[in-house]
Amino acid sequence: MNDGVVFLNQNLLWPVIIVGLVLWVVFIWKEWSQRKERRFYVKLIASFLAIVSLCMIVLKPSTYQESERGKGIVLTAGYSPTQLDSLKSIYKRIKTEEYTKGRTLSLLTDVDSIFLLGHGLEAFDFWQVENKSVAFLGSDEIEGWTVISRNNEMILGEPLEIRAKYAKPKAGHWAILADNAENPLDSVLFEETDAQVVTLSAEPKASGKFVYHLLEKRGDGEVVSNEPVPIQVKEGRPLKILMVNTFPTFETKYLKNFLTEKGHEVLARTQLTKGKYKFEYFNGASGSMYGFTSENLKEYDLLIIDTDSYTGLGRASKEAMEEVAESQGLGVFVQAGEGLFRLSKSQSPFQFNRDYVTEIVLGQPAQTLSKYPYEFKETLRSQEILMDSVAVAAYLPIQKGKIGTTLLQNTYQLILDGKEALYAQIWTQILNNIAKEQESMLKWTAITQIPRRDEPFQFEVQTPLTDFQVQVNDDEIIPLLEDVLVPNKFTGVVYPKKTGWNQLRVFSDSILPLSYFVYEDEELQSIGQSEIMKVNYRKFGSKNTFDDSASILNKELEPVSPFWFYILLLFSLGWIWLEPKLSY
Amino acid sequence: MGGRSIKQFQKRWQRSKYLEGLFYAIGFGGLVYLLTHNLVHGVIGFIVSAAIAVFVLRPWSISQENAVSYIDAHLPQAGFSSGLLLSPSNELSDLSKLQQYRVALQLQPVLSKLRPPHNLLKATLIMFAMILLGLAGRFVFSKVGNPLDGNKSTKEQITFSPKDNLSTSIKIPELTGTKITVRYPGYTGKSALDTSDPNIKAVQGSSIQWNLEFDGGVQGVQLDLMGELIDFAKIDESYRLTKNLEASGFYSFTFKDSEGNNYVSDLYSLEMVKDEPPMVQIEGLDSYSYFEFDDEKRLMLNTSISDDFGIADAYIIATVSKGSGESVKFREETIRFNKAVPKGNKRMDLQQPLDLDDLKMDPGDELYFYVEALDQKRPSPNVARSETYFAVIRDTVTDMFAVEGNLGVDLMPDYFRSQRQLIIDTEKLIADKPNISEKDFKFRSNELGFDQKQLRLKYGQFMGDETEMQAAAGAVSHNDGETEQSNEGGEEDLLDEYSHKHDSDNEHNLVEEHGDENEGQEAEDPLHDYLHNHSDPEESTLFEKSLKAKLRDALNIMWDAELHLRLYEPEKSLPFQYDALEIIQEIKNSARIYVHRIGFDPPPIKEENRLSGDVENITNYDKRQEFEYQKSFASTREAISRLESLIQGKKKFDAGDSALFVDAGNELAQRAVSEPLKYIKVLQGLRDLEKAANRSKENYSEVQKNLLSVLPQIEDIPMKKTKYYSEINSLYLKELGVYE
Repeated sequence: MNDGVVFLNQNLLWPVIIVGLVLWVVFIWKEWSQRKERRFYVKLIASFLAIVSLCMIVLKPSTYQESERGKGIVLTAGYSPTQLDSLKSIYKRIKTEEYTKGRTLSLLTDVDSIFLLGHGLEAFDFWQVENKSVAFLGSDEIEGWTVISRNNEMILGEPLEIRAKYAKPKAGHWAILADNAENPLDSVLFEETDAQVVTLSAEPKASGKFVYHLLEKRGDGEVVSNEPVPIQVKEGRPLKILMVNTFPTFETKYLKNFLTEKGHEVLARTQLTKGKYKFEYFNGASGSMYGFTSENLKEYDLLIIDTDSYTGLGRASKEAMEEVAESQGLGVFVQAGEGLFRLSKSQSPFQFNRDYVTEIVLGQPAQTLSKYPYEFKETLRSQEILMDSVAVAAYLPIQKGKIGTTLLQNTYQLILDGKEALYAQIWTQILNNIAKEQESMLKWTAITQIPRRDEPFQFEVQTPLTDFQVQVNDDEIIPLLEDVLVPNKFTGVVYPKKTGWNQLRVFSDSILPLSYFVYEDEELQSIGQSEIMKVNYRKFGSKNTFDDSASILNKELEPVSPFWFYILLLFSLGWIWLEPKLSY
Repeated sequence: MGGRSIKQFQKRWQRSKYLEGLFYAIGFGGLVYLLTHNLVHGVIGFIVSAAIAVFVLRPWSISQENAVSYIDAHLPQAGFSSGLLLSPSNELSDLSKLQQYRVALQLQPVLSKLRPPHNLLKATLIMFAMILLGLAGRFVFSKVGNPLDGNKSTKEQITFSPKDNLSTSIKIPELTGTKITVRYPGYTGKSALDTSDPNIKAVQGSSIQWNLEFDGGVQGVQLDLMGELIDFAKIDESYRLTKNLEASGFYSFTFKDSEGNNYVSDLYSLEMVKDEPPMVQIEGLDSYSYFEFDDEKRLMLNTSISDDFGIADAYIIATVSKGSGESVKFREETIRFNKAVPKGNKRMDLQQPLDLDDLKMDPGDELYFYVEALDQKRPSPNVARSETYFAVIRDTVTDMFAVEGNLGVDLMPDYFRSQRQLIIDTEKLIADKPNISEKDFKFRSNELGFDQKQLRLKYGQFMGDETEMQAAAGAVSHNDGETEQSNEGGEEDLLDEYSHKHDSDNEHNLVEEHGDENEGQEAEDPLHDYLHNHSDPEESTLFEKSLKAKLRDALNIMWDAELHLRLYEPEKSLPFQYDALEIIQEIKNSARIYVHRIGFDPPPIKEENRLSGDVENITNYDKRQEFEYQKSFASTREAISRLESLIQGKKKFDAGDSALFVDAGNELAQRAVSEPLKYIKVLQGLRDLEKAANRSKENYSEVQKNLLSVLPQIEDIPMKKTKYYSEINSLYLKELGVYE
């Protein structure tokens, strides 16, 4: 209060004082005749008070107060009414406004501190509160799916794996993963917890762009919610494989049969005797292969080599092999033999510990497989290839390429036992991890997790290409912004016009499409809300008071209510009017 | 004139009665029509009910008298005299004439307003009630599926629809007549079946004839049997195709109209029912029958045979096996039933006594027999046979334990006595007892005990018991000199005096004793190379369970026999030995199939010559092979993604899609043959997409859903993936390698 009184109409101060004084002087002159009497003085005082009150009504004196005027409440979806009520009981006439995304908040013009209730503002509306002090109070009302993470893109044959989190699940409800035609594929029963993480998986049966569904069903089968899970399934391409063996084994023979029957291009070389080989060409393979050179190896995706051949490689061959692996990404798979485990560190990159376990149990139904009594020594670089959480193989990255081996032996027994599916599963898992990956020229990443119609969709493009354009709708070019620190990384924004699948295209030598799925407003609401809340917490922090600096600014001039001046004026004028009547 | 109005009244009355009857009839006819949806039925119902109603109501029976009495009763103006109006006036008295005139005058205005008694309201209500009932019934049937006509409209007729959107000026040809004749194979005895239901279920080998008649010009009528197109032959105005049913499947019809527009029918099932082979059962007989030599060796065979279409023949196949070991001989005989087997019966009970003597069986011979039955299927009948039964005449003669004496080599060691020999020796020992010294007696008794043990161990090996020879041998001490040891030294010491050290391998002191070192050699029994290794009881497979138990019994008895021999009580041992002998004989007679295996010893290789061959003439060998890999259900999988883009409206249906869906259908049809129910909906859905009218988003989704639900998982195949290597990643991987 030591800030004192300030007139709101400060600019009128002097004119008002002068007019008031003139009025008073006129009054005094009018009543001058009575100056001998006591009532003259009473009248003087009454008239003075009346004039002062008039002046005050005009000037509007005000005081600095811990004012409510600078604060406002912005209500966003999901706010709690009790929170609003308690705020309103502290700040009596605080302004509130409901937030609609994309619309400018009118209340921001006369407040500079905002209580943000509910899930928060959309990220693209943050600019509105850029200079304001915001206390984000949040909401704990979110119920439903809060996270759905998955692999958006997969090769046909790879499983779709969804990890999703459901806040406040109802016991007895089911989470069901259904395909695009809503055939159920996998399900999990909810339990009574605060939040449940469910893992669902399924293998897409066809390639293309599909919208799978994550359903929540009641016990009686009624669908409670249905969230879309857009996925893209692509066709894989056959591998080009070189198999090198010193002598034929059943293991190699069956692996070779497996690979060739699946359409891979295989060149198999088996040593017959010194310097003489048996070459087998499958599915269009050609050429003969004696020593490895970087020239003849680089077209292959995978080299399958047995231990004896591996150790028997000449220096030039070995260097060529490593060079191609490093630069081209060739995958090298060493078929383990007893010899492999005895190699010194300089001879082989693999390191093993003897574990004396000769059997391993895999698959459903469980199937016992024999293995070498070793395990992989954990090193910095080594990556294990797991199946059913059991390490069946491991590889070491050699720059782009990989070199790997497996501890399993005599897997061909599975085929003899009629368990082709498990055999295929094991080798697919192993070889997929090791084989060369086709190098693509461009990588798309969606930054906006839940694109919606008419809202910005941010994406990132990584490409070494220099001359390219990103287009939507065949003709509209999207400007891209290159990252300051990381070269070849660009970001851009589009505003999708329709829901469902949308496409961006890169025009360069070839056309590379990016498909992204735009959700309807009512889809993925709970996830959207929790995302918004996360973004808001990140932006505004989680403390629910304003900064000190902001609250000093917030002290506001509060005009003294003119009511009191009216009362004073009324009494003064009343006295002046009444007094002559009393004297008679 | 008064008479005429009364007649008019009578007519009105009759008319209202007829009308009433008509209402009832319309109501009933409507009910019938609505329920059956067949106009003919409705008309028949109408006529019948009209006839009944008229007959019941008898409108013609309303006479003038009825009319008069009704008028008299209801019109006071008539003054009970309306009957006068009917009488000719010249027959009446004057007063009557006056009255007649008066009544005629008074009745004239009112009579036309008088309504005859009627139930028209009731009749109308009943009519509407019946029609409503019919509508309700129709509704209920359509919900439930009308058993009366539900099949007729949907299943029992072939419906065609155009494949493409038509821009045709000509009338769409219509199928006017369908006649499908199923001729069952002659032997089934079923008459040919005429039907119009294109979903056919018939016995294998049936001949099916389709007769289709069209109005309007059609051409190229074909039967599409899972991708295989078969042309109809045009005979007169109808199209005919005859086909033998050899496999289940699906089919549809296609034809072209004169403008070349394609039409296709729905998909129909062709289900082949296999002629089941006969069922043969032999009742009331154990699978093994044993006869003693002096029994009456007769078996009563009760056979019941049944077949779905009739039995052609049945007989008994009996095999007699004589001899044992490698000299076993088999003789097979077909025995007819005494009673002739009538052809074509669906079920038969046959009895046949089997006399083993008639089959010339001797003791020790075995008879295997079963009943074989044939049905009438042509060209090759189904043959079924019963389980095999055994009959054995017990053999009491062949009880020698020679380890395959008929094998050229006699592997029996000299000291290895059979149980029978042991008995003979024991009996001899008992007989000799008075003549020999006690020590000699005890020595021989002990020796017999040892032999008994050897024999037990031999049999124990068949049981998979551990060889205990060395344990027994090791327990014997070999201190030659100390013959008179104290008795407290234990049984071994006591025995030592008498034992001839048979219990050790070094029986004849050929080798210097080295204590237990010999054990290893001793474990090797001479039969080892020729027998299965049954050291593990789990692997012992020679005997059936009961045999094992018997052998175990025998071994236990041998223990006792040995015990008494070792205690120099051969008399007490003898009964045990006999028991053992008997059990062993039984065992040997019931299980006699052992084959000696003789191993192969390759000639040794000289180490110095290994890997030193001349390889000059060896050349590289090239082999080239192509595999056409097609992932399972490739077209179906592609159809799913094609449908997805159709659903999303990204493309229009075109000829390529049509071809793809046909391919997918053919792929699935192969699978569908085994499980038609699961697939027919999918196949029908795919087929429906051929028709332009069905190409809607809903149908696409429906078909896609069905496809996805029947499609199996894709098999695991390693595949090449794509990956983007950003500069930073590559750098990182490079550094990772450097600092390893």
